[in-house]
Amino acid sequence: MIYPQIDDGDVVISENSAIRNCIGCFGCWIKTPGKCVLKDGYDNMGHIFSQADNVIIISRCCYGGYSPFVKNVLDRSISFLLPFFQTKNNETHHKKRYKNTFKFIVHFYGENITSQETDIAHSLIKANAVNLHANDSKVFFYHSFDEIAKGVQL
Amino acid sequence: MQISIINGSPKLGKSTSDLILEYLTPLISDNNAIEIYNISKTEMNEQRLAYIENSGVIIFAFPLYIDSIPSHLLEFLIQLEKRQFSDKNTMVYCIVNNGFYEGRQNYIAIEQMKIWCASNHLKWGQGVGVGAGEMLPFLKDIPLGHGPNKNLGNALKRLSLNILSAQSGETLFISPNWPRFLWKIESSQFVWYPRAKTNGLKRSRLYDQVNNAVSNK
Ligand SMILES: Cc1cc2nc3c(=O)[nH]c(=O)nc-3n(C[C@H](O)[C@H](O)[C@H](O)COP(=O)(O)O)c2cc1C
Repeated sequence: MIYPQIDDGDVVISENSAIRNCIGCFGCWIKTPGKCVLKDGYDNMGHIFSQADNVIIISRCCYGGYSPFVKNVLDRSISFLLPFFQTKNNETHHKKRYKNTFKFIVHFYGENITSQETDIAHSLIKANAVNLHANDSKVFFYHSFDEIAKGVQL
Repeated sequence: MQISIINGSPKLGKSTSDLILEYLTPLISDNNAIEIYNISKTEMNEQRLAYIENSGVIIFAFPLYIDSIPSHLLEFLIQLEKRQFSDKNTMVYCIVNNGFYEGRQNYIAIEQMKIWCASNHLKWGQGVGVGAGEMLPFLKDIPLGHGPNKNLGNALKRLSLNILSAQSGETLFISPNWPRFLWKIESSQFVWYPRAKTNGLKRSRLYDQVNNAVSNK
């Protein structure tokens, strides 16, 4: 058990069923606002994020970013935000759809994660945290999934 | 020279990546054999994968998703890496376009592409980050290199010269030659509100929140 305790309110998203990839249609903004139009069980990510105090990701590190499955779930999550722009620290970002903010924690594992990859992963998590309006973000690296399985840092 | 262009936009209709490639291809045609594959629309069979592997130049054009490479392209990159390139002289270039105004926000995706290139022991050519991607279709009647398309024209010219001479170049980040504050207003007026209307939605509906119970998936 990676996390010592999974509480009743916790939602675990893993690849239990096939996931389709985002088709860039923006239907979750302009057709069924807040919900993805691809009905495969992963269409409610925006709502799930709106209920979260913590978003915790465990992923293999691929080219300094997430694994394809984890990335797919994130790509399918933009319904969490509004299409409209706001300027933060002199950069454009999206306005919030929901009031909540969460802590964004990412655990990356991989046998040969290079220093170039950890640098990019740090930048990625920071950028994601800004775009998702997270109140805090953290990123950790492990040499293998087994190492994570012994227990993660919180 | 054999050139493979990989379009990583998963959009069903015409994408900004398509448009950028329409601008770029005439600049690099020059007796080159160019194949363009949209990995969401074309079945990447053995023959096509072999074509990519035997190319002297591979160009990726794709949208920025969640500050990085879109999931389906990531999967394809992993698939290519597993096959192992035999010709290590292949040059890799990429053009990433994003929704936000600042082309610089494509920085992370371009660095990820460099890491992919290094893991495959290929040669890094150049990356271009293009901001305000959803604005480009509105500018398609303005010639490249002019007015709001000035910066894009200049960047694609520099990129094309590097591609033709198999040279590397520094990463370029551009935004349209157009004020940011105007695009911020226009993106709602010209993009989101009309699209919502086409779907029969009032503007206020765009702010809908989803309130049903969460199920454990
Ligand atoms: C799932 C998804 C995630 C996106 N994430 C970002 C992002 O993090 N930053 C950004 O500037 N634009 C983001 N965009 C906007 C796209 O990059 C932009 O619309 C781009 O112009 C699409 O290019 P294409 O037409 O070639 O697909 C995202 C779009 C989608 C559908």
